[in-house]
Amino acid sequence: MTTKRIINCGFILKKVALAIIITGIFSGNIDAQNRPQTPAKVEATIALSFNKNKDSHKTALAIVKVKEEGKFVFARNAWVNFYAMHNNQLQQLRQVVTDSKGQASLELTKDIPLDDSLYFTIVAKIENDKDYEDASEQMHYKEASLALVVNAADTNKTVVAKVTEMSKGGQEVAVKGVEVKFFVQRLFGVLPASEDFTVTTDDKGEATFTYPKKIAGDTAGVVTIVAKMVDNDKFGNVENKVATNWGTHLPFIKDPFPRELWSPYAPWPLVITITTLFGGVWCVYCFLFFQMWKIKQDAKKLAKS
Amino acid sequence: MENEKFDLKGEVETLREACLKPTRTFGRSTQLWVGFLLIIIGWGLYCYIHQLRHGLGVTAMRNYVSWGLYISTFVFFIGISHSGTLVSAILRITKQEWRRPITRSAELLTFVSLCFGGIQPIIDLGRPDRIANLVIFGRLQSPLIWDIISICTYFTGSTVFLFLPMIPDMALCRDRIGECTTRYRKFKKRLYTFLALGWQGTKSQWHRLETTMTIMTIIIIPVAVSVHTVVSYIFAMTLRPGWDSTLFGPYFVVGALYSGSACVILGMAAFRKLYHLEKYITERHFDLIGKVVLALTMVYAYMNLNEYWIPAYKMATAEGHLLADLFTGSYSKAFWTCQFGTVLLPIVVMSFPKGRKITPLVITCIIIAIGAWVKRYLIVVPTLLHPFMPIQEVPESWSTYFPNYVEFSVTAACLAGIFLIVTLFSKLFPMMAVWEVEEGLEIDHDSKTAVEIRTKRHADESKESEISKVQAIK
Repeated sequence: MTTKRIINCGFILKKVALAIIITGIFSGNIDAQNRPQTPAKVEATIALSFNKNKDSHKTALAIVKVKEEGKFVFARNAWVNFYAMHNNQLQQLRQVVTDSKGQASLELTKDIPLDDSLYFTIVAKIENDKDYEDASEQMHYKEASLALVVNAADTNKTVVAKVTEMSKGGQEVAVKGVEVKFFVQRLFGVLPASEDFTVTTDDKGEATFTYPKKIAGDTAGVVTIVAKMVDNDKFGNVENKVATNWGTHLPFIKDPFPRELWSPYAPWPLVITITTLFGGVWCVYCFLFFQMWKIKQDAKKLAKS
Repeated sequence: MENEKFDLKGEVETLREACLKPTRTFGRSTQLWVGFLLIIIGWGLYCYIHQLRHGLGVTAMRNYVSWGLYISTFVFFIGISHSGTLVSAILRITKQEWRRPITRSAELLTFVSLCFGGIQPIIDLGRPDRIANLVIFGRLQSPLIWDIISICTYFTGSTVFLFLPMIPDMALCRDRIGECTTRYRKFKKRLYTFLALGWQGTKSQWHRLETTMTIMTIIIIPVAVSVHTVVSYIFAMTLRPGWDSTLFGPYFVVGALYSGSACVILGMAAFRKLYHLEKYITERHFDLIGKVVLALTMVYAYMNLNEYWIPAYKMATAEGHLLADLFTGSYSKAFWTCQFGTVLLPIVVMSFPKGRKITPLVITCIIIAIGAWVKRYLIVVPTLLHPFMPIQEVPESWSTYFPNYVEFSVTAACLAGIFLIVTLFSKLFPMMAVWEVEEGLEIDHDSKTAVEIRTKRHADESKESEISKVQAIK
């Protein structure tokens, strides 16, 4: 009788499980029906820039965006083809996929072909992408050098940024009238070094920046000064850095997070109280588990005897 | 005397059979009931997976109300988990004999409500996979960490507290299961043997069991109080109107005890009716536990008065907006229904002996249980909708909240889970602590015998004195 009931119970449980699975599949189908069809390709725009850093590494950076609900958002997983253009011929460099910020970056080597005026042309294209419409953008820049020299005179401390470019004859010549911005390196980025942080180069190609008196450095007073040419029409983005010991010394805090309710580490009285209270309870539990184990042991002894 | 001993044996045997009978059957109605519960759980599970896949946006919760029905349910379930502590531990420690038939159901209610109460905050998380981060990177200063520690401690304690008095009963089930002809019976036999811990009822085993029970009874009470106090700290330790209260700890504990004992009455009534335990769970038990609930309701009413009257007298700006919404605004119907239905009505009904009869008491307790759930909702939601900084520059729908089908389905699944575990438990294990009730019968029998001996002795003495008087007169 009991077996029959159990079989009945199993049968009912199977039925219930089947009903749940069918409900799940049906709901999934509804979801699938409500889901929009494969969307059409999205129109994308490419913004292309040239960057040269302190170590003379040159990169072409393409940022791809699409318009969604009236706002531009970054396009991720878009394949961008980079080309170098020479004599109206495109020479493919590499294909790079965009990241979550819509960025595709390519490091440019020294063998990028230059035209007669020593300019190079880079073209970035989205071609035959499954999600995005074809798009193209190109940039046309010349390479420049940005050298930094620090002068610690008696009263005024200055930083001199010298901008030069290569002449057709292979010589470095000063560039006049270029804006150079001066920043101070901080943990999560750079901050303008003063209110007048933009200086234009003179006839010698030099932009002289007067260092402000009080800028906080690290514990040794070291401050990293960053000079940048930002979105220059001719040279793109060029930057250089120099470390000086002109900063005010940051006092060394031995224990930056003392034990407080609002700091990462709990105050000792709280730690001791909680540990004692709950530790005590758990110790009692352990004793009880031990007693239960002893009950079993008593039974084993009894069975042996 | 021989006749009396025989009667006691018969009583004990009847009791054992009455308790073990439900574990031997799994009838059609039980199968249907389990199937019904599984459908609800399946649907709730589907809704929860839907929530996991698409995020909390599929619920009615938004930026302002991020603790909705789930956290209200969490507080309610943790509250009813106090039933086991009150009925079992407090009555055990005060040596109340009438506790014996009802302790098991109270302890079971604690266990299952903690199982499902404990997972409510995880359900409320958009990324439940990150719950471990709370333990790994949590700060000991955070009430959330205290909550995890105390709930885990209470859950472990409650499980042990449920298990300990079950050991002799497991041995009884093991010894009486008979021939194991089916796989199910073999499974039951193995389960009982494992859980009985080789119980033979020797003197040393009884001594150890009594020691552990006494220790557990003492320690579980402060642990239970700490749990609901810490749950209240999650609210009271934030600067929000309605929650910024020093009374919240005891207020939550009393509210938990009161709603928990009401749920114990419901459980008692259900098991009494379903498993024909009328002989052991009597009207007297309902009357006595009804008095307990009455006392707790009065304390709860006093706490309620303090919780609302003091801020209402001051009507400080932010607190005033909240109270106005509760007293006369959008939540006024729920608030006043709750106050009259769960505070005033139970006091009036249970003050009279007729109100503590089974039917009116069960109806009152159903109202208390539903009201307690609504009360938790009224503690959580209106406060979140009345922040210190006014709600602005958000869609209008974000400034109101009512749970949607996903939240109701998941919560219903949790409730069904509680019923399912209780049902399956009652089909595997006796719903009364058999040895405890037996002990009660023996005490009762001994006291009856003692009364008879005393009466007989008095009678003999008076007879002798009369004889001596007569002899003296002669």
